[in-house]
Amino acid sequence: MSRMSQSSDSRYCDGLRRRDMIRVGCLSPFGIASFGFGLADWFRMQANAEDLGPSRAKSCILLWLDGGPSHLETFDLKPDAPREVRGPFQPIATNIPGVTVSELLPETAKHADKLAIVRSMTSPLGEHGLANQYLLTGYKPSPVLQYPSYGSVVTHLRAERSVLPPYIAIPESRLAGSGFLGNQHEPFVTGGDPSRPDFSVRDLDFFPGVDEQRLQRRREFLGVLDDRQRALESSEIPSDSEFQRAYRLVTSRDAKNAFDLSSEPESVRTRYGQRMFGQSCLLARRLVERGVPFVTVVQTGWDTHEDLVLQLKEGYTGAKVGVGLVPTFDLGFSALIDDLSVRGLLDETLVVAMGEFGRTPKLNTRGGRDHWPRVFSVVLAGGGIRGGQVIGSSDRVGESPKDRPVTPSDLARTIYTLLGVNPDHELKTPDGRPVPVNQGGAIVHELLA
Amino acid sequence: MNLSMFVLLMVVTAAPARSPNFDTEIIPVLTKAGCNSGACHGAAAGRGGFHLSLLGADPSADHEQIVHSLESRRINLTHPETSLLLRKPTGQLDHGGEDALPEDGPGAQRIEAWIRAGAPRGESRRLTSLVVSPKKILCQELPAQVTIQVTARFDDGAEEDVTSWTVLTSSDPASVRMDDDHVAHINRRGQHVVIARFLDRVIPLQINVPLSDAIVDLTSEPRANFIDDQVLQLLTDLRLPVSPPASEAVWLRRVSLDLTGRLPDPDQVNRFLADTSADKRETIVDAMLSSDAFADYWTLRLSKWLRLHSLPNETEGLDAYSKWLRTEIDQGTSLDEMARRLLTATGDSHEIGPANFGRMVADPRAHAELVGQFFLGARLGCANCHNHPLDKWTQDDYHGLAAVFARLERGRQVQWTDRGAVTNLRTNEPAVPRIPAERDLSINGDHRESVFEWVTSDEHRYYARAMVNRLWRAMFGRGLVEPTDDLRETNPATHPELLKMLADDLVAHRYSLRHTLKQIALSHTYARSDLAVPGNEADDRFYSHALRRQLEPEILADAIADTTGVPLSFADGAITRAVRLIDPVSPAPSLDTLGRCNRAAGCEESVQASGGLPGQLHLINGDLINSRLTDEEGRLRRLIAAGLSNDEIVREFYLRGLGRPPSDDESATWRRLLSSDNPDERIQRLEDFVWSLLSSRDFLENH
Repeated sequence: MSRMSQSSDSRYCDGLRRRDMIRVGCLSPFGIASFGFGLADWFRMQANAEDLGPSRAKSCILLWLDGGPSHLETFDLKPDAPREVRGPFQPIATNIPGVTVSELLPETAKHADKLAIVRSMTSPLGEHGLANQYLLTGYKPSPVLQYPSYGSVVTHLRAERSVLPPYIAIPESRLAGSGFLGNQHEPFVTGGDPSRPDFSVRDLDFFPGVDEQRLQRRREFLGVLDDRQRALESSEIPSDSEFQRAYRLVTSRDAKNAFDLSSEPESVRTRYGQRMFGQSCLLARRLVERGVPFVTVVQTGWDTHEDLVLQLKEGYTGAKVGVGLVPTFDLGFSALIDDLSVRGLLDETLVVAMGEFGRTPKLNTRGGRDHWPRVFSVVLAGGGIRGGQVIGSSDRVGESPKDRPVTPSDLARTIYTLLGVNPDHELKTPDGRPVPVNQGGAIVHELLA
Repeated sequence: MNLSMFVLLMVVTAAPARSPNFDTEIIPVLTKAGCNSGACHGAAAGRGGFHLSLLGADPSADHEQIVHSLESRRINLTHPETSLLLRKPTGQLDHGGEDALPEDGPGAQRIEAWIRAGAPRGESRRLTSLVVSPKKILCQELPAQVTIQVTARFDDGAEEDVTSWTVLTSSDPASVRMDDDHVAHINRRGQHVVIARFLDRVIPLQINVPLSDAIVDLTSEPRANFIDDQVLQLLTDLRLPVSPPASEAVWLRRVSLDLTGRLPDPDQVNRFLADTSADKRETIVDAMLSSDAFADYWTLRLSKWLRLHSLPNETEGLDAYSKWLRTEIDQGTSLDEMARRLLTATGDSHEIGPANFGRMVADPRAHAELVGQFFLGARLGCANCHNHPLDKWTQDDYHGLAAVFARLERGRQVQWTDRGAVTNLRTNEPAVPRIPAERDLSINGDHRESVFEWVTSDEHRYYARAMVNRLWRAMFGRGLVEPTDDLRETNPATHPELLKMLADDLVAHRYSLRHTLKQIALSHTYARSDLAVPGNEADDRFYSHALRRQLEPEILADAIADTTGVPLSFADGAITRAVRLIDPVSPAPSLDTLGRCNRAAGCEESVQASGGLPGQLHLINGDLINSRLTDEEGRLRRLIAAGLSNDEIVREFYLRGLGRPPSDDESATWRRLLSSDNPDERIQRLEDFVWSLLSSRDFLENH
């Protein structure tokens, strides 16, 4: 069914449309196609569709810190706050004068010149499921619509054809799904633990006893069967079938090699940290290096309701130093930034590190912190980001934004813009409802280089 | 109080001509101008401080807003022409919606006359019928112009031409453009719909334009029943030539997959192909309809529609539920009797299957939505927060239906209690139990039986329509209405008459699932080849040829297991067929990789197999196929061990997997490709042959 051009009888409230697009879509009196074609163009003509020039970022690596990392123990320390607020760790200087981070982030501190730290993120959603979705999609969750995550939107709109899947999640996707865009835009999930010697992606390697030669023969045999059918149909079959894509992937040495971390020098692997997060970051670098537009790396465990020192610093495994969440993150994150930078990839790779919210300013009785969405920190680097700066701030005790509040929706608009996606572009739900890529967000201009 | 006195006074002093009636003459002006649309003042929060009910659904609130609120500043009775209600939409004052009403147009004039008359609500006056003429348009030449006329009849006996006040919207303006004088400019071939909305009525007007200039004569096409009559009629109108019948083998594979969810076995194929009796299709359809496989397969289908799943740490309810479904389907219990039990059953849900219906959802609202989805094929969820914009359901309907189920306890013991309520989000009061779009019910009392009567009433036949549409989709790969859970006036069927006839036929035959399936299976429409003929290549909804569709994950996995002779294993070996694995939570990595539906939101649009890239990788490198090729107990190894020749093996797998013997050509090709002097190499080639057969479109698809 094609769409509607702007006809004389389509009168809607001017200027109010954008903000109410969802509602408009749902309430459109005649459903499918009553709104549609023409509106997107119309938006483009509006002055507030900002033209920021060609996008810098070809790829994006999202480091998803699942559970909600404590801003007070990472990027927004409050050394002057009362003891029950400031927590167990001290700030340290970075390579940007006046900017401090947690003492657990010594490696990251050396690369602060490449980072933009937003200390005034704010959201009303303090429950994991809801907050996850808000941060991963830029939309507050709705009961009637599953919004697509960044990666799904980007790959949906870019429609690039490459051997590797365009949206890859390491090692899992954590709700960052395709929403109403449908299954074909779900992330390709690696599974497994990249730090293990036997790490491999499900069904990527040949079945025992089947080698490339046999697979080639199988393809040839398959051709015998399908070509016959195609000839009977004498019609155009999509030339790039799912089988072809899969075949290219499993027979591409280079593509499969992307997942083979053992080909990295031991020194590099060590630099990233020999834990799942670090090796996942390394894998992410290998993927964007090969042109994958969107990679998500998930680090779980940030829901630190108790024992901050144990969870954030020491970790549970009994090892001596540097196994807790923050040191693990520090190694992987700093190595990723540095590695991308050295390889000349940082300018075209947007790196975002965030979780769904921060933690309560006051330590609770179990030595932990609970959910706190009112203010928290997000860190960005590369891909068109102006590094070496702190944007916004929280108040004295890290309770509320003091200035320059940034909502997840603002962040989404900024990220999409950096990735070359027009935030006002209208996506279509399967039932024809138009939904803009981002709604109601404002670009955080300070972030842009 | 004051208002009504005032109104009376004004009516008396008004001009002899009757002043415009607010509910039936002013509201349509506002609707037509778009004032009360969801984008403007019809939004839940209104717009610019002015809130109208969505599409004028609540005239009394609208009258209050316009005439009374803000100290009546929106109207000026002394100088009507200066009223804000006029100056804003005509663009004389700054207005977000700009010029919604032309300044001297009939809309503005009517509003002014109404204000001049004192802005009365007017006598209670109701629309009793709305007729759009023509009812259906079939045009032969393009471009064409058709003038549409809309006539309304009111309960005061008046009959009026309301064309000017009817919103006429084309579903595809590139094909049909409506202009302001109600002329449809038809520019493209195909089937189009114009929706007419006046007050609370919505009427779809179907426009058919032949897809070619060449007349298509289908009078000599065979017809088994009304299905063929209806389908051929539309094909004739659209001048779409039909594809010839599919081969007998293709038909058998198709009907076997559609009725029993499994491939025909070689015996069946051979016997059927050798059978020369005239009624052999009916015989085999009857046999399939009474098979165990039929009961298994349709239990799974209904389980998906009813969103069956186990609850945390509790599978007994699911077991009872699926057992009940299977028994009822097996015994041929009518679908309406099943509906009654689903809607009304109480008791120990570990014993009484249908008592689990409401346990598949969390609360009364979700219960109401499931009722809407399953029994009406409608999405009531929209009406939670606002009146359904595309359908007739109001918030009162939604919360009222939820209220019917508010007193149901959803624990293991499903029971009726004397407490429990649902808040109507519109009023913030406890919702009054209600039969949607019909009537309020008493606050106390168990009204679930009334809901059953409502969904099965002869007046609406909601349930019958929703079911036959689903059955049609199950058999053809496409519903007469798509999606199958979104039936509403504004989303008309491709074949409206046929949908009605199928529903009537289902009711006339005691809501027999098997009856409708048999009607469809024996129609010539169903038997058509999937191969297009010149002129019908692009057809994807008028059934000039069959539509190819991918096998669902469960069906595909079973087909692979059956063909290779290596059964599946689920639930620690207790279940060996995917079709019997009712619980979507039960672990089945292969099925998940292929795209099994998790039933969180119902599986009307059955997810198709080979779920994206992971699914394909699984077929290529995974164990689902590969491990079955080399299994010592598997069919391939057994046939090799029994000393069968390559020809015989190829034939066996063709029969099993594709439901037909290979042609001479194909046999020759495989003879060439598979021959090897090296026994190990031969085995590998045979494995590769079976793999490619199981990965071929003819295997992965129902066609």
